[in-house]
Amino acid sequence: MAALQAQQFIERSPLYRQQADATLGRLGDSVIVAHYGEHDESPQLQRCALLDLTNLARVGFRGAAAAEYLLERGYQLPEAPNRALTQSDGSHVARLSQTEYLLLGSLRDAGARIAAEEAGWQFSETANYLLPRQDSHAWLLLTGAHIAEVMAKLCGVDLRPEAFPVGAVAQTSAARINVIVVNLPEGELPCFQILCDRASVAYFWDALLDAMAEFGGQPAGIDALL
Amino acid sequence: MTAFSRLPAPMGLLIDRDQPLRFNFDGKPYQGFAGDSIASALAANGRWLLSRSFKYHRPRGPLTMAGQDANTLVQLPSEPNVLADLQPLAEGLTVTGQNFAGSLDNDRDALLGKFSKFMPVGFYYRSFYKPMGIWKVWEPIIRKKAGLGVLDLKFQPEYHDKAFLFVDLAVVGAGPAGLTAALHAANAGAKVLLIEQQAYLGGALAWARFDVAGQRADALRRELVDAVQGHPNIQILKEATCNAWFTDNFLPVIQGNRLYKVRAKQCIVASGAFDQPVVFRNNDLPGVMLASAAQRLIKLYAVKPGQRAVVLTGNDDGYLAALDLFEAGVDVAAVVDMRELPADAALVAALKKTGIPLHSGSTVYEALHAKGMRHVTGVDVRRIVGKGQVAGKGMQIDCDLLCMSAGYMPVYQLLCQAGGKLSYDDTQAAFALSGLPQNLGVAGSVNGRHDLDNLLREAAQVANAACASLGLQEAAAPARFAAEPRVNYDWPIFPHPDGKDFVDFDEDLQVRDIVNATRHGYRDVQLVKRFSTVGMGPSQGRHSALPTARLVAQATNRSVSETGVTTARPPFVAEKLAHVAGRGFDPYRQTAMHQRHVELGAKMMPAGVWQRPAYYGKPEEREACMQAEARHVREKVGLIDVSTLGGLDVRGPDAAELLNRLYTFAFAKQPVGRSRYALMTNEHGVVIDDGVCARFADQHFYVSATTSGVDRIYQQMLKWNAQWRLNVDITNVTAAMAAVNLAGPRARNVLRKLCTDVDLSAEDFPYLAVRQGTVAGIPARLLRVGFVGELGYEIHVPARYGEYLWDALMQAGAKDEIRPFGVETQRLLRLEKGHVIISQDTDGMTHPAEIDMGWAIARSKPFFVGKRSVEILEAQPLKRKLVGFVLPATSAKPLEGHLVLNGPDISGNVTSCEYSQTLGQIIGLAYCAFEQSAPGSTLPIRVEGGEVVQATVVKLPFFDPETQRQEL
Repeated sequence: MAALQAQQFIERSPLYRQQADATLGRLGDSVIVAHYGEHDESPQLQRCALLDLTNLARVGFRGAAAAEYLLERGYQLPEAPNRALTQSDGSHVARLSQTEYLLLGSLRDAGARIAAEEAGWQFSETANYLLPRQDSHAWLLLTGAHIAEVMAKLCGVDLRPEAFPVGAVAQTSAARINVIVVNLPEGELPCFQILCDRASVAYFWDALLDAMAEFGGQPAGIDALL
Repeated sequence: MTAFSRLPAPMGLLIDRDQPLRFNFDGKPYQGFAGDSIASALAANGRWLLSRSFKYHRPRGPLTMAGQDANTLVQLPSEPNVLADLQPLAEGLTVTGQNFAGSLDNDRDALLGKFSKFMPVGFYYRSFYKPMGIWKVWEPIIRKKAGLGVLDLKFQPEYHDKAFLFVDLAVVGAGPAGLTAALHAANAGAKVLLIEQQAYLGGALAWARFDVAGQRADALRRELVDAVQGHPNIQILKEATCNAWFTDNFLPVIQGNRLYKVRAKQCIVASGAFDQPVVFRNNDLPGVMLASAAQRLIKLYAVKPGQRAVVLTGNDDGYLAALDLFEAGVDVAAVVDMRELPADAALVAALKKTGIPLHSGSTVYEALHAKGMRHVTGVDVRRIVGKGQVAGKGMQIDCDLLCMSAGYMPVYQLLCQAGGKLSYDDTQAAFALSGLPQNLGVAGSVNGRHDLDNLLREAAQVANAACASLGLQEAAAPARFAAEPRVNYDWPIFPHPDGKDFVDFDEDLQVRDIVNATRHGYRDVQLVKRFSTVGMGPSQGRHSALPTARLVAQATNRSVSETGVTTARPPFVAEKLAHVAGRGFDPYRQTAMHQRHVELGAKMMPAGVWQRPAYYGKPEEREACMQAEARHVREKVGLIDVSTLGGLDVRGPDAAELLNRLYTFAFAKQPVGRSRYALMTNEHGVVIDDGVCARFADQHFYVSATTSGVDRIYQQMLKWNAQWRLNVDITNVTAAMAAVNLAGPRARNVLRKLCTDVDLSAEDFPYLAVRQGTVAGIPARLLRVGFVGELGYEIHVPARYGEYLWDALMQAGAKDEIRPFGVETQRLLRLEKGHVIISQDTDGMTHPAEIDMGWAIARSKPFFVGKRSVEILEAQPLKRKLVGFVLPATSAKPLEGHLVLNGPDISGNVTSCEYSQTLGQIIGLAYCAFEQSAPGSTLPIRVEGGEVVQATVVKLPFFDPETQRQEL
């Protein structure tokens, strides 16, 4: 079977050219990096790795009725702004303000649940507005033992575990662009879910890899995550 | 002694005798060990003369062996002014001297010292300006002599970066106080950052002697260092300099090529104290050094600092240094104590036991030398008979090493930056600190604690206070401290009638220079500094501040406290611009189609932070590319990426009301499925942005804004609605939407192949209409627009599909000869249509009437932002106007910014100008005086080279005045 190519799909990550030497896997209507090379990337993830989850579904909802809408749809919502919760299906909900929520899809269902939320939303007169987060923001996953130290080279916010515990959300600036950083580990693996301006992700990807270099950081794929 | 015959272990704490290193200094080969500094390795080889002084080119050797002075400045191949007593030795290193004429050993410029009487303080300011014009003669000579070292202009910049560090407690200095404080706090649970300037921990414990037996320091150092190293709560930064203190304990710390930006909840400064020299004639000769420097050479590098030594001291530490020298095999010819007796009588007994002669109440009046002054050869010792006065005769003692210790000056710089005040304590003859802010503690010799027990007690107390503030410990009762003997001799200054009694080694300033500065009327120490340059050199007053304060106080009949010291501003030590710059972060934005433009050979240009295609082709073919692309759009079909155009979704029951208040036009009754031009003014009536409001639903507008203006407009919308509290949601979807403009007579043909669910006919989808449908299977927003003056469709899709959309359109348009066009081509096309670009054709004063935008104002509306100002401006006679002008194709082409003239006056400027192949002439927009604005008027424009061309004002647009082409 021929290897998958990003250009065979209509949805494309802005980073797909940087992933030319990766093995891709199918993810809904798009592809995602499965792995680089043939070796197990688990140790890399534990040490310091960067994954591109831009093609994984995510969406936002904002408005006075957003919380009610999401509760009705079975989501657990964080009790306070700048907090995030992982749902039982592996998707995540981050609360960005009193009335704004960010839903991050799960690799377990290839983002299907969250993609369905975006597709199924209808404009109505209730104050619940969809925010196109999948298109406005790229989604990167920074993993490993050094995530706080890597971010300290780019960002002025204290992201050490004692100041930025699991479930915390920081909406801040890193490497001079706006980012949303969410501390949500994958099991025991320390992870920052980082959302940045989609149009700036080529710049930010390089800035992150540069900051990761001293910790032996490398890009990785999702196989070692699953 | 050679590199391989050093003092036996345990001397030589820093060197690895198993790793010899070869290097060159001034063309001669030498050997040292790993762990050596350049200066220590040279000293081990008997090489003491390292540099020449700044002004008189006097020979200089190591003074502090701690990087605290300018005596060891040397040249490395790619870097001048490197401190040889800090710079680690490396295999194959090539080091040279600097700032000499001839050779380092035989510097012709040393003759300047003979003329020092003719170069008194401040002579620079007075000598070279008379007679008038003579400065031009002197300047090149002085410039040739100025500066030290040589810059390597081919040097390739190295990687530097920055990182934040967040800690509970930052401890500056890893001497006994710093180690104790760090350990105490870490044991209490604090996350501690320990910052040490040197390559080793322990500070003075590593090289100084604290007791007669010489046992205590090393044992304590081992105990503390062992406890600190590997402590899970302590992060150690060695060879790291805390270069400033900023509010709330924000500390820049330089280590290697990195600048750490430390955020510490608590900070303890245990920065220690600088050993002080004695001022006497020739106190700068090689071989004359601080007692601490000699001890550093012995203990850290196993280097015997001389064969026969004299120790000149004003405190007990000089005695202890003499014992160290004796144990290192140096023949100590004398201890010369400026006091009558040491504080600790046991020291006298210890000297007696070793047979070292003691000369009490005496000083070195002059250091002696042979021809060439390359090393000290002896000293002239005199009885002290008064303050700074000595007996007429004394005795000469031969020596090749003179160690001196006049006392200590606290390393107060960071603390003074934090607001600490220095006051002079006459009983201790020393400066003391007070008035520190909250969350900043101080411990150790910087705080006047020199007794080891006192110092350790204080460090624990200060750490306890920091931990109490962090909520980790209960605050303990204040510690009690034993009285300490004075360590500073109160007047270690012995002027000599022949001078060369240096107060400031960096700047070659003698006692009389400081005194003369006060006689010129510069009584304030800050003025003395600026007039004499004292303290301005690389050592920044570390050894000159105290004697200067004393001399100025005496000369002006004030106390030393009243005189004070000069301000200690950041940085503490010289820092490279590369550290300040760090790794450059220059964000850029790329559209979803970016790589397609690159693959098609586009010349990319910045548009704010975006990268956009200017045109497709080589830069040298710009004009031809633009004209070909423009012709293609006019005749066939072109495709331009307009993803960078700002996009704002305004949704909710009050969406129309919000736009009605923000923009000048009326939107309340705008039909769904239509777009409307939108002009925005600020409260002063100045045009600040424009775009299109497309109404896709009763409560949903999709509003465009200029590429560079959208972020500001988004902020404006949020700001205004924070006041108005309308029921509306505003979302910036600029990056979320990829967009193209498919333009040209064949645009409909192309789009029809990909869009089947929208009737594209002119009747059902006319000019200015908007629709939602699918293009190539992608959900899309379609807008009929006319910015370039042709039949055109803007197609906006979610960014994830952007590249696919581009591919699909290029493929579908192949038969219609579709061609991409760039931003510069678009600017030419819109110029032919007379459309203004906000911020290019407008400025910070432009109001709607000046650019003929009166039609875009809904005057019946009760309010829009800027309405009142626009009405006032429109009620005034117009002073200037933006007009279209033409010039023959053969004319010189005006550039943007060229001036429009009105008789002898400047009446405006060109804002846009291009050659239009379509029209066969040069066309442009320019501001001019109102009386010049009527069509047919002549517009004088001054172009390159001062030529004035006579343009003709024409009615806009230049092309297709009936707008038939865009409404096809």
